[in-house]
Amino acid sequence: MKNKKIAFLIFILIVTAQLYVPLQMIFNQEDIIKTGTEFKFQTVPVDPYDPFRGKYITLFFKEREITVNNATKWRSGETIFATINMDKKGFAKISSISKTKPKNNESYLKLKIGFALNNNKIAIDFPFDRFYMNENIAPNAEKIYQEFSIKKKNETYALVAVKNGEAVIKDVRINEVSIKDLASKK
Amino acid sequence: MSDKIKNELQELLHANVVTAETAEKIRDYFHQKEAENQNKLSSVFGILGAILVGLGIILVFAHNWDTLSRLTKVILSFLPLLIGQIFCGYSLLKKSASTVWRETASVFLFFAIGASISLVAQVYNIPGDLDSFIITWMLLSLPLVYVLQSSIVSLLYIAGITYYGCNANYFTYPSTHSFLYWLLLLGIAPHYYQLVKTKALSNFTLFHNWFISISIVICLGTIAHKNGHLLYLSYMSLFTIFYFIGKTTFFDQQKLKNNSFLIVGKLGILYLLLLYSFKWFWDKSFYKTDSLAETLLSIEFIIALLLTVLAAILFYKKNSKTNFKEVSLLELAFLTNILPFITGYEFSIIANILVLFIGIFEVKRGIKLNHLGILNFGLLLITILITCRFFDTNLSFVIRGILFITIGLGFFLTNYFMLKKRNRNEK
Repeated sequence: MKNKKIAFLIFILIVTAQLYVPLQMIFNQEDIIKTGTEFKFQTVPVDPYDPFRGKYITLFFKEREITVNNATKWRSGETIFATINMDKKGFAKISSISKTKPKNNESYLKLKIGFALNNNKIAIDFPFDRFYMNENIAPNAEKIYQEFSIKKKNETYALVAVKNGEAVIKDVRINEVSIKDLASKK
Repeated sequence: MSDKIKNELQELLHANVVTAETAEKIRDYFHQKEAENQNKLSSVFGILGAILVGLGIILVFAHNWDTLSRLTKVILSFLPLLIGQIFCGYSLLKKSASTVWRETASVFLFFAIGASISLVAQVYNIPGDLDSFIITWMLLSLPLVYVLQSSIVSLLYIAGITYYGCNANYFTYPSTHSFLYWLLLLGIAPHYYQLVKTKALSNFTLFHNWFISISIVICLGTIAHKNGHLLYLSYMSLFTIFYFIGKTTFFDQQKLKNNSFLIVGKLGILYLLLLYSFKWFWDKSFYKTDSLAETLLSIEFIIALLLTVLAAILFYKKNSKTNFKEVSLLELAFLTNILPFITGYEFSIIANILVLFIGIFEVKRGIKLNHLGILNFGLLLITILITCRFFDTNLSFVIRGILFITIGLGFFLTNYFMLKKRNRNEK
């Protein structure tokens, strides 16, 4: 009987841990969405698939390539901090990268070095590159993007909330309209 | 109890072959066996059901119900987790004696954990760091193995960490060179030990034998860094260690299908020897790094050395009992690990001779034990060796043809004579 009690107590601890992990994820993300700064990252979407989480569109960001003085200084896979601000059109721009957290109040992202393109250009991996969509409309989203890109006038971007180096994608939009709405209307 | 046995028992009773008492005992025996079988069957269906429902829930959620609000989706993603936890709590408190309840509930909870983490990730577009996702999932599930005594969750855990080991080291570039897999594998060791000690012959133990041995074989390669070539040595020693584990009295007494270590070890050694028998194999240098010191200090070399020493200890332990009179060639194959360190010699010849003799010994053993399986295994080994040699020798087609005809006739004749001998013995 005593053994059973101990086993049940341990079980309660396990249950708490099992609930804590997703809850902590939710609170963290909600906090970024509610109190983070919004940025628009210009992007290109394509549509692949994940066995556990369903259909999503992968985002390739135009800000992916950065010019640096000496590419050999940055190792592949290394964590870095990128300070971001807005350009004239209102899109996010990486102004500088460093190996330590920026001390001023500017917004920054924690991300990883992808690989060196040449001596003074490196590619970085964004911590947000997936936007999950309903399985019926995800293929449409890619098609719509391609149609828009032929017209050349499109501006596709991801609306991202940033706080303390972490980021959450709130929406992906083409010319100010959510890609979800565009794709489900079709 | 089947009607056939009932009728036969009646007949035996009438003919006074068995007494009424014995007949009653036989009846009891079959009744008990039937109940056990039914229990086994409901376990299997319960577990299968839980796996299917768990996976089904993941798929339904993966559809991404974008008409639902974020809050609804978040609440829904907790639903399977809570249901699983309630079932597990109930089986722990009220049904702790029932394998069906414990296994089914914990398997369901196992999938619910994965589902709820991935659904939250879907809602917030958290990108796919598959490695940390699997580690979190497995670590949250591991306690179920111990608290609910669930062997199926243990098997799923082994599969999960094996996938993690592969994903972190083989599938991603640059690979992370993570050794976490070995630590995670240790997590299952107490459960496996308990299974072997208490339920050595159960199906759960059988599956664990196979899962663990195959998982280790798959993941040993993850230690490769700069001196990937040295891995062959580690594998040779690992297979030899497996072989000796399979030869311990504990495993040797069991049925062959339970003895995964013996089968994996033996086939592994032979596979490597066949690989060694190719000339091109020895063309590449075993020293990839610049200096010898760097090679000797590399993780691959250290692991290979440790495994080889362990294999040597096991070799000594097994054979010292019989004063080294029952040493088979297979047990000496790990000594080829010395070969790469003596440069400038054609080692493929040694490997060829080894395989040929192992094949001949197997044929001899098959004849001695009057065992067709072992006999044909030996012949097959020789055939594979000869086939392999056709790829790197310039023998004329006539000679190759004659060789094949000879070995084919060998198959016919040995099998024919053995069957004939058997018939004669039976008469």
